[in-house]
Amino acid sequence: MSRNLKLFIMVLPTIILLVIFTYIPIGQEIQIAFENYNLYNLSNIYFNGFDNFIDIFTSVDFNFAQIVLNTVIWVVVSLAFQFTLGFGLALLLKKPFKGRGIYSGLVFYPWAVSGFAIGLVWAWIFNGQFGLINGILMRLGIINQGIGFLSDPHFALASVIVVNIWYGIPFFAIMLLAALQSVPEELYEAAKIDGAGRFRRLVNVTIPYIRPTIASTILLRTMWILNFPDIIYAMTNGGPANSTNTLANYMIIKMYSFYNYGQAAAIGFIIMSILMIYAIIYLSIFSRLERGII
Amino acid sequence: MKKVGLLVLTLVLAIGIVSLGETITLNFMQVLTSPQRTAWWEQVIKDFEALNPNIKINLISPPYEQADNKLTTMLMGKQPLDIIEVRDYTIKQLVDNGWLTNLTPYIATWSASKTLIPLAWQAAKTVNNTPYMIPQSFFVKALFVRTDILAKYGINPNDLKTWQDVLDACQKLYNPSKNQYGWDNRGRNSPFIFPDTLATSFVENANPDNLYILPNGQTIFTSPQYKAGWEMYIKLFKTSPQDSINWGFDSQVNSFVSGVTPILMQDPDTVGLLNTMLDKDQYTVVPLPVGPTGKAYPNYGFNGLGIVSYSQHKEAAWKFIAYVSSPEVNAWFNKNYGPLPISSVTYENDPYFSTGVYSAWAYMMKHPEKYIFSNYPFNSPKWPGWPSIQQADMQSLLLGNISLDAVLAKWNNYWSSK
Repeated sequence: MSRNLKLFIMVLPTIILLVIFTYIPIGQEIQIAFENYNLYNLSNIYFNGFDNFIDIFTSVDFNFAQIVLNTVIWVVVSLAFQFTLGFGLALLLKKPFKGRGIYSGLVFYPWAVSGFAIGLVWAWIFNGQFGLINGILMRLGIINQGIGFLSDPHFALASVIVVNIWYGIPFFAIMLLAALQSVPEELYEAAKIDGAGRFRRLVNVTIPYIRPTIASTILLRTMWILNFPDIIYAMTNGGPANSTNTLANYMIIKMYSFYNYGQAAAIGFIIMSILMIYAIIYLSIFSRLERGII
Repeated sequence: MKKVGLLVLTLVLAIGIVSLGETITLNFMQVLTSPQRTAWWEQVIKDFEALNPNIKINLISPPYEQADNKLTTMLMGKQPLDIIEVRDYTIKQLVDNGWLTNLTPYIATWSASKTLIPLAWQAAKTVNNTPYMIPQSFFVKALFVRTDILAKYGINPNDLKTWQDVLDACQKLYNPSKNQYGWDNRGRNSPFIFPDTLATSFVENANPDNLYILPNGQTIFTSPQYKAGWEMYIKLFKTSPQDSINWGFDSQVNSFVSGVTPILMQDPDTVGLLNTMLDKDQYTVVPLPVGPTGKAYPNYGFNGLGIVSYSQHKEAAWKFIAYVSSPEVNAWFNKNYGPLPISSVTYENDPYFSTGVYSAWAYMMKHPEKYIFSNYPFNSPKWPGWPSIQQADMQSLLLGNISLDAVLAKWNNYWSSK
């Protein structure tokens, strides 16, 4: 038996599982995106070309441009804060101190809770009438009337993003902390001898050393946030007046409210295409960066 | 004598064989799953199995959020199911896909069918005028009122007979500086039924078979009376906290219990929930207010049981449905669960449903000239998604981002286009 054949047999189970549970469903999803596939009438399924996409782009009820804009804001702002705060937290947790284990356990806790449950809890915290935040602000005398964090379109998107940031910080903190702990102390000592201050050490030693981790966590997290409807679905269901609707939430609405699997699959296809293009561009920039071309 | 003995022996043997026959196991899937409801079903099943030792019932209880999808998936895969829970929202889909059995022949042999209230027949025959299921519970909105708070303002709950009375009361209550508001608005998770219940009561000739299409073929959104009703709803909303634009059921109940919004329109299953948080003298329920027409067109929600078309044990499945649909079992179930029962006997003889807060609904059932129970066009291919569209538009309207005329024109366009 040749070596290659042996290796092939060894990876075969993984390949079979991936094909059955990932690639076949993706293929079917793409097929459904081009079909009239409605749960209300499953006896009438047929190929309808680009109709699903045209319906989504031209819908008068759900402004597609607004949904895309919301999605971009949702992803970029969430990611930027999650990363910055998560990185900061990882730097703070790197140095040993008393009770660090308990402290990091508490900090990482949100990551273990389901997004939907978090949405429900925060919906109460942000409630405009009985919410915790409004209660505190009122007692401090800062406001006399509750702020409609989730009912006022000016605040709603910001409010759900705050929750998403809170939820995502531990992910970056865990991943980056692990990477930080692998940076050899000698590098810092050498930098110190060369007279580098704290900031220089961070920019010229730490960040370059953990750059692969940074790159992969940002890539993963972008995909995750774009695909993540739980918090929005539980807190505002895309409202008020579509001001928090994102592509992922819109897909859920098309599936569970419209029962229109064709259009839901089309939105899924759009999300997948966006992520694929993003990943290709991102990885090519990153590999150029690694090879020092940029 | 020998012959008689042989005959008796044969008969005994025959009966013996039949009664020793194989036990049938029926698969029964509920979709409105909750821990309490599962316990009540288990109790009913236990009683039924004691009476019918040959039939075993296997209860399947998927979590509520996934139940409808799970049901569809199982039916598509022709997996073993005999009895399924059917809802107002799902009945059309289930019938159109050929998954439900026409129950006409079974009902013909069922004596308790005579005690079914007219609304039960109406619900059973929702699709194609054919009974594909036997309803078990009804959800009809009525007006929940905080008697203790209204008393402070000198308002008698029994005076809230028309929507104008309700608006006057809400405006009298409204005092944001004291955190006192009036109407308990619903802003999300299918809010359409709230303004619609008010606005349709303004329309003289609404169509009970399809609330959105008038008898003349035009949509209700073209009706000036319907528009006048919406104008009143917007005034009602102004007595509710602005935050109610994002309120679902939980927030509504919470606001009612806290007393911030002491007037709430809700279904009877809210009673059980409220009784755990409020004393019985703190709130009451009055019949749904009527519009200037003197009428109301309350929508009725329902759920019931149907037999799967490919079931191998339809007779046994029917036996179970007939058992749970008997006045006694049905009354017991709804007493625990909260909604309205299906049998006229229950409304007349069971004090639980003929007195107290439930008398509001008993009154509505007894006055068909005032309360015309009506259907939304759940059967229409336009229906799926409508609650989401209506929700977004209603939020825009209440936020003042779009005019009422523009919204009504948009909705008219949606419902009249092919």
